[in-house]
Amino acid sequence: MTRTRTPGISRRSTLALMGAGAMTFAAPWVARAQAKTIKIGMPTILSGRVAQLGTSSRNAVMLEVEKVNAAGGLAGRQIEMVIRDSKGQPQEAARVARELVNTDGCELMIDAEASSGAFAVHEVARDLGVFCIHTNSETSALTADPKQRIPNAFRTARQGVHDSIVGGSYAAAIAKAKGLKKWATCSPDYAYGRDTTGEFTLYLKRFAPDVEIISESWPKLFQPDYTEVVTKILQAKPQALYSCLWGGDLTSYIDQANIYAMFGQMEVFAVNMADYTALTVVKNLPKGIHSGNRYIKSFPATPENAAWGDAYKAKYNEYPTNWSWENATAIMLMAEAAKKANSADGKKIAEVLKGLTIKCPFGADGTVTMRGDDHTLVGYAIGWGTTIPQEPYVPEIKAGDWKTIFELEAEWKKSKGYT
Amino acid sequence: MTELEAGRAERLAPVRNGMALQRYRDVLIALIAFAVLASLPLFTGSKALLDFVIRCSAYGLFATSLNLLVGYTGLTSFGHGMFFGLGAYSFGLIMQKLGVPIPVAFVATLAITALIAAVIGAICVRLKEIYFAFVTLAFQMLIHSTILSWASFTGGDQGLRGGIPRPAFFGIDLSNHVHLYVTSCALLILGLLAMRQIAQSPFGFTLRMIRDNAARASFLGIDVWRAKLTVFVLAALFASIGGMVMALFVSGAYPEFAYWTISGEGIFINMLGGVSTFLGPMVGTVLLLLLNDTVTRFTEYHGIVLGVVILFFALGLRKGLLDFVAEWFSRRRDAGEGR
Repeated sequence: MTRTRTPGISRRSTLALMGAGAMTFAAPWVARAQAKTIKIGMPTILSGRVAQLGTSSRNAVMLEVEKVNAAGGLAGRQIEMVIRDSKGQPQEAARVARELVNTDGCELMIDAEASSGAFAVHEVARDLGVFCIHTNSETSALTADPKQRIPNAFRTARQGVHDSIVGGSYAAAIAKAKGLKKWATCSPDYAYGRDTTGEFTLYLKRFAPDVEIISESWPKLFQPDYTEVVTKILQAKPQALYSCLWGGDLTSYIDQANIYAMFGQMEVFAVNMADYTALTVVKNLPKGIHSGNRYIKSFPATPENAAWGDAYKAKYNEYPTNWSWENATAIMLMAEAAKKANSADGKKIAEVLKGLTIKCPFGADGTVTMRGDDHTLVGYAIGWGTTIPQEPYVPEIKAGDWKTIFELEAEWKKSKGYT
Repeated sequence: MTELEAGRAERLAPVRNGMALQRYRDVLIALIAFAVLASLPLFTGSKALLDFVIRCSAYGLFATSLNLLVGYTGLTSFGHGMFFGLGAYSFGLIMQKLGVPIPVAFVATLAITALIAAVIGAICVRLKEIYFAFVTLAFQMLIHSTILSWASFTGGDQGLRGGIPRPAFFGIDLSNHVHLYVTSCALLILGLLAMRQIAQSPFGFTLRMIRDNAARASFLGIDVWRAKLTVFVLAALFASIGGMVMALFVSGAYPEFAYWTISGEGIFINMLGGVSTFLGPMVGTVLLLLLNDTVTRFTEYHGIVLGVVILFFALGLRKGLLDFVAEWFSRRRDAGEGR
């Protein structure tokens, strides 16, 4: 009788599977055995529509980590980054963050998630008590709302309300000078778009009370066709347009609006224009679009900032994004705090980080500060200017005034019941 | 009793005894499974393993409940994820806004889900095949859009922020990782046992008959619409429990929980594990989560790997893993008996 091989799991593959299982569960102990290096976990978005968020965050982090490691590491311990994709799903972000701490033995965390993912990771940080810096979420509530606040979490991203105050006062000055009274808005239909537009118009009207919003458009996020929106705006005949579309949405919008010669008919204020992700992708960048700075190597116009932008470009063959500087700043702050605390312990770093001011190429005056009372970054370069079609794209940027920002921010916090 | 009826009763008696026996066996298996799972924290300190089982509970309940529709009734729902999201959001919102004890929120969430599922089901189950699939998908998108645009209540696309409060009840503190783990296991085992009972009850066999030939079932006097609606609501309840476990795990609720991709994952899990056996979806859940967790550790191109796996199952095996194993066993048994 011959015995033919029956389909199914062989003894050998069973053993292999068991081995793989054992490896999975042994991983934490192996990880802990190598305590000389310090692992920093980083959940971010590396796949899908906004993968660029993750890749440009990762690039910037690696650029800075190399420098810190070359200078001796974090309080003498070499940094090892463990960067993992969350696919932009909050439940995955939470899972990955937990796994990074519980299985991979990461002692510190950089949360490079966007919007809802950042809140999911924030809950993990609350639960596990791990030191965490949010680097990409600009939602003001993340740090402004006292209910969200925990001693171990910080933010090195811009804050939505800062942008709105600076944008509103800049736009109001131009509105007054040029007599722009009729305004239209066109922003993506989700929390960021609605909140940012609301806050921008709030401050615009505050500084220029006779401004009137005559038309509002809310295209869907990642909408491919803007014809309808463009014609609606053209029919309303506003004198000025505000938009917080970003990335690919903004570039397709501009390309499509160019067909209707829209940019000659009104002043356009697009807060997210001055980022290389948009500037270098638009086919015919119109002259004279007003934009807030996201990341641009000519603002602040310092040799340090230009050198940083060039170093990034040399290494990755593309320009940094807004997310890049936010992530780089996180590593710079961590390194400085660890040096001051003479320890890589999360608790000690958190103590020192409160109120810490460091030299930074992205600071408005060459420094940035981690504000102690709400754990968010202040003093970063923030300003508005107008575009030209070739490099440096936005030649002159008018810097926002941090004194005004602080005053109005305090007022805004009170109005929200945060203080 | 007529002679005919008496004869039928006689014939049915061993069947009934057999079913009772099977029920005891199921309960026994459930008890053993729970004992094994619940004692796991005594043997391992791996939080990742406990996290894994908690997520398996959430997705397992969801996928198995979907199989009640897909495998047992032949209703391929593309919108089952809405009840997962609904469970997570209702539970999270009730806990955040009302601050009631957890069991109250749990029961209230089930009541809300049942109500909404009854309304949606009443409209959907009249439709067949692709129409049913697409209308359930449409309702899912409706619920997803509502969550997104009702930002003042649901937090919009940022989700429910600030964590879900978890006050202790009956000595169970769900903010403790091990307590949460044991509770999730208990919910999973109880949920699976309940679904198993539904599947093996006369009602469960009615569902199979509807799947195989709805017209015939109707001629036999079965109210097909009512049976379909009942199973639609029941399945929604178990999906909602899965959503609650997930909300407790991430301490929040996010619009992604109600997005169509969750329904898609449910279908994928069923394809992986198989729909012809009760535990198929559970096997599929473990497979998918294992695959997801290991592949994302090594590459950001996990889409390609998952795609290849789908192709392997769809074109290679042409069935789910447990279907394949079950068939293999029955073929071996037949061969052994010399048939």
